[in-house]
Parts: sequence; C-alpha cells; structure tokens
Amino acid sequence: MAIIETHALTKRYGHARGIEDVSMTVESGEVFGFLGPNGAGKTTTIRTLLDLLHPTSGAATIFGLDSRRESRAIRARLGNLPGDFAYDPRLTGRELVSFLAELRGMRDLGRAAELAERFHADLDRPLGQQSRGNRQKIGLVQCTFHDPELLVLDEPSSGLDPLMQEEFLAFVAEERDRGHTVFLSSHEHDEVQRVCDRVAIIRDGRLIAIESVEDVTSRSYRHVTIEFADPVDPDEFRRIPGVSDLRRTGRRLTFKADAGVDPVIKAAARHTVTELELSRPTLEEIFLTYYGGDEAR
Amino acid sequence: MSVFTPITPAAAKRVAAPPPALTSLRGVVRRGLRDHRRVWLTWGGPLGAMSALMAAMWPSVENTITDALENYPEGLKEAFNIREITTVEAYIDAEMMSLIVPLAVAFLAVRVVTRAIAGAEEQRYLDTLLAAPVARGVLIAGAFIVAGIVIAIVLAVTTLLTWVVGVATGSDPSLAVLARGTANVWPLSMLFAGLAALAAGWFHRSAPVTAVATGTLVGMYLIDLVGKLAEPIEPLRWASAFRYYGSAIQDGIDPLAFAGLTLVGIALAVAGAVLLQRRDVMA
Repeated sequence: MAIIETHALTKRYGHARGIEDVSMTVESGEVFGFLGPNGAGKTTTIRTLLDLLHPTSGAATIFGLDSRRESRAIRARLGNLPGDFAYDPRLTGRELVSFLAELRGMRDLGRAAELAERFHADLDRPLGQQSRGNRQKIGLVQCTFHDPELLVLDEPSSGLDPLMQEEFLAFVAEERDRGHTVFLSSHEHDEVQRVCDRVAIIRDGRLIAIESVEDVTSRSYRHVTIEFADPVDPDEFRRIPGVSDLRRTGRRLTFKADAGVDPVIKAAARHTVTELELSRPTLEEIFLTYYGGDEAR
Repeated sequence: MSVFTPITPAAAKRVAAPPPALTSLRGVVRRGLRDHRRVWLTWGGPLGAMSALMAAMWPSVENTITDALENYPEGLKEAFNIREITTVEAYIDAEMMSLIVPLAVAFLAVRVVTRAIAGAEEQRYLDTLLAAPVARGVLIAGAFIVAGIVIAIVLAVTTLLTWVVGVATGSDPSLAVLARGTANVWPLSMLFAGLAALAAGWFHRSAPVTAVATGTLVGMYLIDLVGKLAEPIEPLRWASAFRYYGSAIQDGIDPLAFAGLTLVGIALAVAGAVLLQRRDVMA
C-alpha cells in the first residue's frame, strides 16, 4: 500500500526552480531515503508534501488523502522533523512537546519521556540554552512522541554525535519493524545506505533515480583488484569493454568494471592469480557518479 | 539500546483523526497567554504608573487647570478632545486616553499578533507548528484572541493602578468611569490587531507587518487629529478608526462604535486567515 504518492509534483518560485515533475511512491512500512545535495529540492519536496508550500502543478497524496485539501487529517498521522529544527528559545522541550500534544488533542505526552531518555534529550532546559545537537534531540522527540504512522525527517542526524546517530538509525529500523513508514531526506550517504530500503536521488529539482539500495549498489560497477603471480600487460585488461580507471602497482591491477565481471575473470584466468577482490561501490560513490563528482559536495 | 513500544488501539485512535478546531484553538491561546504572562507588569505597570501619576497629581492641579485651559487654543482643545476639566477622570482622559494609552495599547495588540504569525514564520517555527494538525486560520484566530485578552489585562491593570493610587492620594476617581474609558481602547486596539493579522496573511516577515499596522495606526491618528484642525482634511476622518473612538470617560461608551470597530478587526483577521491559508509558508 502506498503511503506517499506524488504525480508530476512541481513547485516553482516565480521563475526560480524548486522541483519539477517529481513522481514517486513510498510504500507502507519502508524506510525511503531521499538523497541529494543542498539546494537539489529535498526540502522543497517535503514542504510541498506537508502543505507548507502549494504546488505549482501536479498532486500528492499521503495515506490516500490529498495533501492540500486533507492536510490536517494527514498531519494528525505524521511526525515531521524540519531541516535545521528551531523553536522559541525561551521554551523548554517539555513545554514545546506539551504544546504540540495539546494541538494534537492528546491528554498526555505520549512517548516523550521514553524517547527523551533514549536520545538523552534534556526536556527541562530552555531550547536557547542547548547546543545544536541537543536541540536536534528535542526535534526528534517532538516529531515522534505521538507515535505517528509516518515520519518525515529532513536531515535528522544533523548535529548528532556518532553514538546518537547510531541510536537514531536503530530507532528508524525499529520504526520500520513496527510497520511504520519513514521518509528520510539526507545527504549522509552512509546512513541512507545502512537504514533505507529504497532511495530516490534528486538533482536540480528532478528525480533522477528511484531504486532499492540493494539494486543501486548491485547493478552498478564493481571495484576489481587482481594480484598476479607475475607482472601482466595492463593493456590486456584496458581493452575489455567497461573497464576504466585502471592502475597497476607492481603485480597488482585495480580498476572499475561496469559491463559485468565475466570477461575480466576470463582474461585473468590466462594468468596465475594470487588474489582477487570484487567489491560494490558505496552509495556515496554511486551518488557522485550521478552528480559528476564535485557537484555532490 | 532498543525500546519497543507497541501501538495500543487507544493510541492509534488518539492520533488517527485531527482534533476539533476548538481544541487546537484552546492550545494556541493557552500557549500565547503563557508567552505573554508578564505583560501585566511590563506593559500594564508603566501605563498604570503614568496614569496613576496623573491621578495623584490631580489634587495639586485641580484649582489651576481651568485657568490653564482657557489659554489653550480652541483648535488644540478640539483636536485632543479636551473640554472642561473639572474632574480627575476628565484630567486622566485628556492626559492619557486621548493619545498615550490608545497608541501604546494598539501597538501592543499589533505586536502580539505579529510575533505569533510573522515572527514565528520568520524564525522558522511555523514548520514545526504546522506539522501538527492545526489549521492556519486557528493560528490567526488564536493570535487575535490572545491579543484581545492581553490588552484587556493591560487595560485592567492600568485602570486598577490609577484607581488605587487616586483613592490613596485623595483624588477619588470613579472606578466605573475609569473602566469605561480604558474599555473603550479595547475595540480600537482590536481593529489594529486585525490589521496586523491581515498583513501577516500577506507578508512573510514581521518588519513589514509591523510597518503596515503601526503605520496605519499613526496615519489614522494623524488624519483624525489634522482633520479636526484643517477643514480640507475633515472629510477623510471617516476612514480613521480614531474618528469613532471618542471619549468614553466624558460621553460613555458608544455601543455602535464599540461593536463596529471590533467587527472590523474581526473581519480583517478573517481576511488575514484566508490569505495565510492561500499562500506558501516560507522557510
């Protein structure tokens, strides 16, 4: 069952680009990564889904409800952590969560205490007296305390220390195990690769890929390292279709193979091989390929 | 660490549907009142102290004020709605209610609404607020109601301080007359609260919202003032809220003007809510 569906969703700011023809489906119970560099359109997509921005054209549904006309009903069932989360610095986390609970018609603070303990969030200090990382923990509590079916998280681990990032990723995995859906916008490739089931990559406001993380990494090229008993002529391998970035270090060749490894294995078999290593690229390397390298940072 | 919390049917039911708008509105109003919990001191205190000073001074100026008034130009007296000053209430009316209190309290009303909407948008708080199932119109309505309560508190503190000090210093003002004078400031201020809500429905930042609302406040005051002095400007006075403000201390509250100004304020706030609903919330 689709939790989020967008159809040619477009948002322009006057003549400036926002997002163009974004069409995607996020299934129930999956962790969906939304990957792109700053300014690619990740936050615009999220804010359009949440009805903070009105689409120029196209449409979106969440839980099968129209994201514009039925926005309140949608927001009753989701939790959102905005990018660069901020709130009135005079309020404590507890006051903020109490306020949001009241807006949601809740009579208690739901899971707030449990989550605050888990994320080591101090709910009793004013937000203005907390570090960015600690404010982000409050942000995580305020978007999850009501146990929403859908979590929309924009750069959620931003500012968190490595231990808390691990805890956060464990939390996301648990939410998936409980059947909840997570839409996770990030430029942290490692966290997307580790926790997401599928990933969409957005570039210049347009989706350029939506695939499972497994497919993206398995269909892509391989890093190949072969060590031979004796030095070999590298041109023999350079001539193989799909081989690139070949380097020789003594008896060792390293290169990329993106047209299958069978011809590489057959060519290697003509020599005495002492070591062979094939590895998939990381999501970050694939992402850099999509973005042409330096743009992605 | 792993903490598993199953969703209970009660919890699922609790979050499945948005709460009634009144529930959200109550939350917005309560939060707004907490945000302004010291306003009785920070605004009511100074205004009340100034007004109380006038009440305390009355016994010492009582015998000379009539002579002094005779030397005032007629136009000036008309402009500031100064008639015979034979009572402490009329003295407070001339000194406080014709200029300082209405302008200050209306500015406070503008500030309360601006901070709740445009200020929250500017500081990016609206993204967090509007992730909850709350309608934008409820935010505007909440800010408008908070403004109404806050200025009522400030006016009440001003009235009480004036009366207490007046009684203590022997000028013995009437609480009922003072109260009707300050109560008359309320609808005027609510009109400008509504104007601020309208501007917040259009602009994304607090500076232009404040500029539009307070600029109109000062502009309307000047139109009314100059209109009383200069005949060519007089026809424009109908467009000034101050034209309908009058002097409740001397003439009593004009129920039509009271209701009219309040209704215009509400209409402006409703228009602001419609505009806010139709536009983007900027990051």
